[in-house]
Amino acid sequence: MSAVTEAPVELVRPDPRSLAGETGMVERPRRRLLPFDPWHLFLLPLAAVMLLPLLWMVVTSLETEAQTFHFPPILWPGTPQFGNYLDVIRDSAFTRWFWNTTVVTVTVVASNLVLCTLAAYAFARIRFLGRAFIYFVILATLMVPLQVVLIPTFLLVKDLGLLDRLGALVVPNLVNVFGIFLLTQFFRTLPIDLEEAARIDGASRLSILLRIVVPLSLPALATLAVIQFLWTWNDFLWPLVTILTNQDAFTLQLGLATFQGSHQTQWHLVAAANLMSMVPMIVLFLLAQRYFVRGIATQGLKG
Amino acid sequence: MARVAFDEATKVYPGPVVALDHLTLDVADGEFLILVGPSGCGKSTALRMVAGLERISDGTISIGDRVVNDVPPKDRDIAMVFQNYALYPHMTVEKNLGFGLRRRHTPREDVRQRVDEMSEMLGLQDLLRRRPGQLSGGQRQRVAMGRALVREPEVFLLDEPLSNLDAKLRVQMRSELKRLHDRIGVTTIYVTHDQVEAITLGERIAVLSEGVLQQVGPPQDVYDHPANVFVAGFIGSPPMNLLKGNAAGGRIAVGEVEFVDRQVPDGEVLVGIRPEGLHPVGEAFDGPVFEVSVEVVEPLGDEVLVHGSIEAHAAEERREAEEVALLADGKRDRATITLRLPPEERPKPGSRLRVGVAQHKVRLFDAANGLAVEPR
Amino acid sequence: MDRFRRFLVSDHAAGWAFILPSVILIVVFGLIPIVWGLILSFQKAGLISPEREWVGLGNYAKIASDPKARQAALNTITYTLLFVPTSILASLFIAHALNRKIAFVHFYRLAVFIPVVTSTIATGIMFLWLFDKNYGLANWLLGKIGLGPFGFFEDPNQAMIALVLMTVWGWLGFDTIIYLAALQGVPQELIEAASIDGSSRWSTFWRVTWPMLGPATLLLVVWSTISALQLFDEVFFVTHGGPLGRTSVVVFYVYRLAFEQGLGSLSLAGYAAAIAYVLFLVILMLTLAQFWLGRRVVHYSS
Repeated sequence: MSAVTEAPVELVRPDPRSLAGETGMVERPRRRLLPFDPWHLFLLPLAAVMLLPLLWMVVTSLETEAQTFHFPPILWPGTPQFGNYLDVIRDSAFTRWFWNTTVVTVTVVASNLVLCTLAAYAFARIRFLGRAFIYFVILATLMVPLQVVLIPTFLLVKDLGLLDRLGALVVPNLVNVFGIFLLTQFFRTLPIDLEEAARIDGASRLSILLRIVVPLSLPALATLAVIQFLWTWNDFLWPLVTILTNQDAFTLQLGLATFQGSHQTQWHLVAAANLMSMVPMIVLFLLAQRYFVRGIATQGLKG
Repeated sequence: MARVAFDEATKVYPGPVVALDHLTLDVADGEFLILVGPSGCGKSTALRMVAGLERISDGTISIGDRVVNDVPPKDRDIAMVFQNYALYPHMTVEKNLGFGLRRRHTPREDVRQRVDEMSEMLGLQDLLRRRPGQLSGGQRQRVAMGRALVREPEVFLLDEPLSNLDAKLRVQMRSELKRLHDRIGVTTIYVTHDQVEAITLGERIAVLSEGVLQQVGPPQDVYDHPANVFVAGFIGSPPMNLLKGNAAGGRIAVGEVEFVDRQVPDGEVLVGIRPEGLHPVGEAFDGPVFEVSVEVVEPLGDEVLVHGSIEAHAAEERREAEEVALLADGKRDRATITLRLPPEERPKPGSRLRVGVAQHKVRLFDAANGLAVEPR
Repeated sequence: MDRFRRFLVSDHAAGWAFILPSVILIVVFGLIPIVWGLILSFQKAGLISPEREWVGLGNYAKIASDPKARQAALNTITYTLLFVPTSILASLFIAHALNRKIAFVHFYRLAVFIPVVTSTIATGIMFLWLFDKNYGLANWLLGKIGLGPFGFFEDPNQAMIALVLMTVWGWLGFDTIIYLAALQGVPQELIEAASIDGSSRWSTFWRVTWPMLGPATLLLVVWSTISALQLFDEVFFVTHGGPLGRTSVVVFYVYRLAFEQGLGSLSLAGYAAAIAYVLFLVILMLTLAQFWLGRRVVHYSS
């Protein structure tokens, strides 16, 4: 079962083939008591529940401190306090955290795109000594959960002198085995004829990869990029463990956590900080929905 | 009573797209009726409307004595064989066969007995423990039929059940289907786009095109007396030759050739002649004769198809794009006709053939609306 | 012959060249830590100090008599037993609801999926605020229907449930995507055939659709269980194991031992590593058991 190419893309847009409602009478025709489909009665509250925490954050971030302490809660501040956002940026190293996270994430994503593509292509198409064995061993590492390697990796990073620096966040994540797995599966589904024709024409492996395979693999690469972006941007445990005292190297998640700790009662500021930290991922999600969905569906098929 | 009656049955999709246009048709109890036509003609829609899988936009459909427009599928006492069989992949053949009976709370011994009888009738006894994934296409098809028939429905619906089988199996299954129907005698509506299947299987065939019923009748009747050019061109393989003609005072001219004694009004007519209505003739023949310039000769083993051009114009009826490209060959003012010959009389491409027309087999159609002109 | 040999060599060389950087990184940051972790678990080790003392299986034995370890194990099991069925059943129902062509379905799907991209910290903050005992929206809303007020994260008896609610909220989208994909993979013809066969809607779902969701369900059960057993971020940030250690889960306990207590003069890194390895073994066995059980029950339609 091939992975990425068969994962459905149209999950966020309704798939007309799979409807169970309007064309036929597979469901017993009810006399319409409501002017709309009864499922809305479930879906609308569900959507409200799912969005409530986010929306409530928005509201809180626009209130004054006094308003946040009002009970029953005020549902909409009279005048939205956009200044809260500026206060957050002024009172904390938010911009620094944001920058750090961006640098780390972009580097990790870029590095993964390059290294995973190279390795996956080799595993998928090149016959070389030890290929099956190495592939097996690599995949086996996927089985090992994070907490097992947490302490030794920490010690390793410490011995490499990367502790308390952004390097600690970048170097161990330069290649992600899951990415290799994803791309290997995908490359295997590409028609091999194109590559064989190029080989006969004398092209080197590298140029085949760059000129033929990669252009055909943009969706899979986009999926990998998006997933890796999500993981790295939202990562908390690893920065927590490796960035101990150097506040300059805090990532957004780490900074946000400490911000909440130091501003415990200033929910209007915490909310603003929180929202600002979520915006990039939400925007990315809205723009690249299909890749998120594909990525998750493939992650699921990995089993 | 398990007759099925369509009364102005119509299906309109948002668009608006009229998939079925006021179909009025009666299927008698126990009859084997075939709905045939090209893709998109509405035959599957009509079938699914009988099944209850499509809502009826207008008109009614009745099964037996009751109008079933608002009756859900499971209450209609119908059974259906889908094109892709729709077998439950996680159930054994035995469970597949018995599913419908168990859903209707049939007592267990009854279920077992009927499943056993049906599997014997269809030769499935050895496969009962297998899953659909382990069966061949032909076996799956039989399980699909078994599942439908074991319920002893009032109406049996089949949606292109043979189209996924290879040619040889298809021919085999066709005769098995016929045998089954003779034995069980349930009212059957069968949908296909293959007109050969239609004429060999059906007691009556209903030809549809673009949602409209073109003609209904016993296969031979429809073949011999098509109601319009569409039916003439659709039924019969190779298709009927259709040529442009001009009628004046009872004489019809097709190119240089004349036919006489026809009670047709003056004006343009379309002249249809089936390949078997054309024979090579000698000088002595006194009927209409075409001078055919032989172009392509197709040996079929038991006969030879000869395609050649004549001094006449072809009727501009609907043809598939590839057909037009193959036959037109740039010679617009010459029509191509097809005739059948016994294999011994195989002509050479490039040769000339005098071909006589069996006048009683000529069919005339109005050039404006395509309808058959003569009374049957 | 020479050219042929050269060709072969070049393929091997090319293959290795392509994988080398990745392999080096994986060996260094993947394999070595795995082995090192095992070794550590047999030692009494300090995180910052270079102290290493071999204690063989001593650490593992210590686990059995450690009440905090037992509590962590219990909490983790409780959490897993609450989280897995809840998220799977909820997402199944939601996927079923979303698998239809009605107005706004695009919006509904978006609403369900978005929480997946929020980080654990962001989610933690949102729920800390929502569940705030005094000023939180949750208590206000619940008060309107006559319930509460609840202590949520601050109440030792409720903290775990609150954690489950929070994490289910965050993960529903993920499970729903997978179920939605699986549901859309069920051929509509099968549903139609069942309907014609006389099956009611519930019966069709239970006998036709549900079995075909087997592979997806197995996957989600395995995936959710593994994730649940490894819960950390939310516990660390929101409850920090409390109140009264009622939400201290295994990974959190490992972290505390190694990085909170172990950073001092206490050398607990080895012990922590041992606990981590035990968890690993448990996960491994559970996963294998689930797959083995799953293979026997689940049908993979060819």
